[in-house]
Amino acid sequence: MKTRLAKFPFWHEAVLALLLVALLITANTMEPRFMRLGTQIELSRHLWEIALLALPMMLIIITAGIDLSVGSNMAMCAVTLGLLYEAHVPMPLAIGAALLVGIIGGAINGAFIAFLRVHPLIVTLATLSAFRGVAEGVSLARPISGFPASFGLLAQGTFACLPIPAWMFIAAAIVCSVILAKTPFGRFLYAIGYNENACRFTGINVPRIKLLLYTLAGFMSALSAIIFVARRNTAKADVGTGIELDVIAAVVLGGVSIFGGRGNIVGMLLGVVLIHETREFVSWHWNNDELILVVLGVLLIASVLLNSLFSRRSRSD
Amino acid sequence: MKFALPLTFAALLFAGCKPSAETPAGSSAGGKKITVCMLPKKKGVPYFTSCSQGAEEAAKQLGNVELIYDGPTDGAPEKAAAMIEKWALQGVDVIAVSPNDPDVLAPAMKKAREKGVHVVTWDADGAAGTREYFVNQATAQDIGYALVDTMAKDIGGEAEGEVAIITATLTAANQNEWMKFMKERLAKYPKLSLVGVQPCNEDQKVAFQVAQDLIKAHPNLRGMWAISSVAFPGAAEAVKQSGTAGKVFVTGLSTPNDMRSYVKDGTVKSVLLWNTKDLGYLTVYASNALANGGLKAGAASLSAGRLGEKKIAGDQVLLGDILVFTKDNIDQFDF
Repeated sequence: MKTRLAKFPFWHEAVLALLLVALLITANTMEPRFMRLGTQIELSRHLWEIALLALPMMLIIITAGIDLSVGSNMAMCAVTLGLLYEAHVPMPLAIGAALLVGIIGGAINGAFIAFLRVHPLIVTLATLSAFRGVAEGVSLARPISGFPASFGLLAQGTFACLPIPAWMFIAAAIVCSVILAKTPFGRFLYAIGYNENACRFTGINVPRIKLLLYTLAGFMSALSAIIFVARRNTAKADVGTGIELDVIAAVVLGGVSIFGGRGNIVGMLLGVVLIHETREFVSWHWNNDELILVVLGVLLIASVLLNSLFSRRSRSD
Repeated sequence: MKFALPLTFAALLFAGCKPSAETPAGSSAGGKKITVCMLPKKKGVPYFTSCSQGAEEAAKQLGNVELIYDGPTDGAPEKAAAMIEKWALQGVDVIAVSPNDPDVLAPAMKKAREKGVHVVTWDADGAAGTREYFVNQATAQDIGYALVDTMAKDIGGEAEGEVAIITATLTAANQNEWMKFMKERLAKYPKLSLVGVQPCNEDQKVAFQVAQDLIKAHPNLRGMWAISSVAFPGAAEAVKQSGTAGKVFVTGLSTPNDMRSYVKDGTVKSVLLWNTKDLGYLTVYASNALANGGLKAGAASLSAGRLGEKKIAGDQVLLGDILVFTKDNIDQFDF
C-alpha cells in the first residue's frame, strides 16, 4: 500500500488542489462577498498577464531554462504601443508593432541561448536590464495616457461572462497543453530538460526549439503588455516591473522542476490559481500588503519542501 | 487527477453562486458607521506613517469610522490600483487616495465612483474626474511664498545676495507650480537675485553634486532652496562639507527626521513642511463628512475636530498651515 501511494505520480498536484479547496472554503466562511462569482471575475483581471506569461515560462523551465526578461520586454512593447499611438498611428498597427517588438526581444534572447549557448540565466539577466533601459530611454520614462475607450475594452471588456483576456488565456492554454502532451515537440522539451546533450546526439534540433521557445515568450510578453496598457490606460517604462518573479513563483509552485524535465499544465494552472487566490484573499481580509509577501513566501517554500519530500520518496523505491 | 482543475473551477462557481444575504456596507442613514480606506503612495515610509497616525486619531474620535490603511510597500502603482478595485468590490464608503501615478490609478478610481463609492484624494491630486474632493496640505501659492519668506528671514538683514533653486526634475508638476509662485514672491525682495534652477532628478547624490557646483560657481551665493525631500538632505550635506554654513543658507521641504541632524549642527536654519499628522486627520474628517452628507457642493468650510473650521476652496479642502521646523521646535516632531 505504502509503495503504491508513493508511486502515485501526481502528489504535488493533489496537494495543491487540496490547498486550493481548503483556501476557498475558508474564504467562503470568512468572506462570503469575496467568493461571489462577480467578485471573483473582477479580481481575476489581476491575473491574466501573469497566467499568459506562465505558459511559455513553463515550457522554458521544462527545458531547464529560464526567462527573467519577460517584464522588461513588456515595458518595451508598452512603450512602443504608447509612442506610436501618440504619433497618431492607427491602433491596430500600433498593436502589431508592439507584438513585433516583443517577438524580436524574445528572438534576441533565443539566439544568444540557442546558437551562442550562453546560459539562459545570464542572457535574460542581461536583457532584463537592457530591455528596461531601452524602454526608459526611448520614452524618457514619460507616461503616455488617454488611449481610446475601444482599446480599453480589450482588457476591461467582457465576452460570454469572462473578461476578454481570460479567453485569450484559455485558447493559449489549450494549444500549449496539446503541444506538450500530444506532439513530439512537447516530448522533446522534457527530453532537453532531462539531458540536453543526449538530445543533441539523437539529432533533435535543440537550437531551433530553444529559439522558438524564447521567441514565444517574447510574443506573450507583448500580449501581456497590450492587455496591461488597455487595463490601466497608461503606457510607461515601468510596466511589468518584477512580474517575472511572480510568474516563475507560480510555475515553480505548480510543480514544474526548476532543474528541467518535470512539470505539467494542470500543476502549473493550480500554482497560478493558488497564488492568485491567496494573494487576493489575504489582501481582501487583512488589508495588509506586507502580510501578502510573507504568506506567499511561506507557501512557496512549503510546496517546494513537500515536492522534494515526495520526489525523494518515489525515487528511493 | 485530470479532473482536478474542472473540479476546482466547479467549486469556485458553486461558492460564487451561493446567494448572499449580506447587504452593501453602510446602507442605513444618518451618522452611520462607515468604512474609510486610506491609500498612501507607499506604505512604510515615515511621511505616510505619520499621516496614518493622524488618521487613526480622527477615526477614534469620530467613533463611527472604521479606518483601513494600506498601500503598496514597494510603491508600485499597479498594486495601488488593484487595492482600489478590491475596495470598490467590497463596497466600502470612502476611498482616500494619495496617487503615486494618477494616470495608472485613474481607471480604477473612476470605476469605484461608478460603483457609488466616494473617492477623495489627499497629499497629491488625481487625474481629472477621478475624485470628489482633494484634501490639500497647502496651496502652491502658500508653499512658494513661505519658501521665499523663510529664506529672506534666514539670510536676515536686507536679504541680499544670489540665490538658486534645486528642484526634483524639470518636469515635476508640483515643483514647477511652487516655483512659479516663488518667482512671483521674489519680486518682494529686490536684492535677492535668482542665478539658477537645477534639477537633481530625485537623487540625493546628484543634489549633493549640484549644490557643490552652485557654491563653487557663485562666490556670492547666499541661499539655496532644495524643494524636494530628496534634494534637501543632499544640498545640506554639500553646504556642511564645503564649510559654508552660516554664509550659504539652505532651506526647503522635507521631514524633520531627515533634517534633524543638519538643523542641530546649525547647517540648516529652517525646514518647511505641513503637519503630516493633521493631513491624515483632516482626510478622515473630510471623508466622514462626505459619506454622511456633511460635505455638500458649494460648502465654504468643514468642521474638522481639533483642527476647527477648515476652508474649502472649490473642490479642495485646505489644511493650509505650513510648519517651520527650527532648532527650537524640531524635537517636538517625530516623522
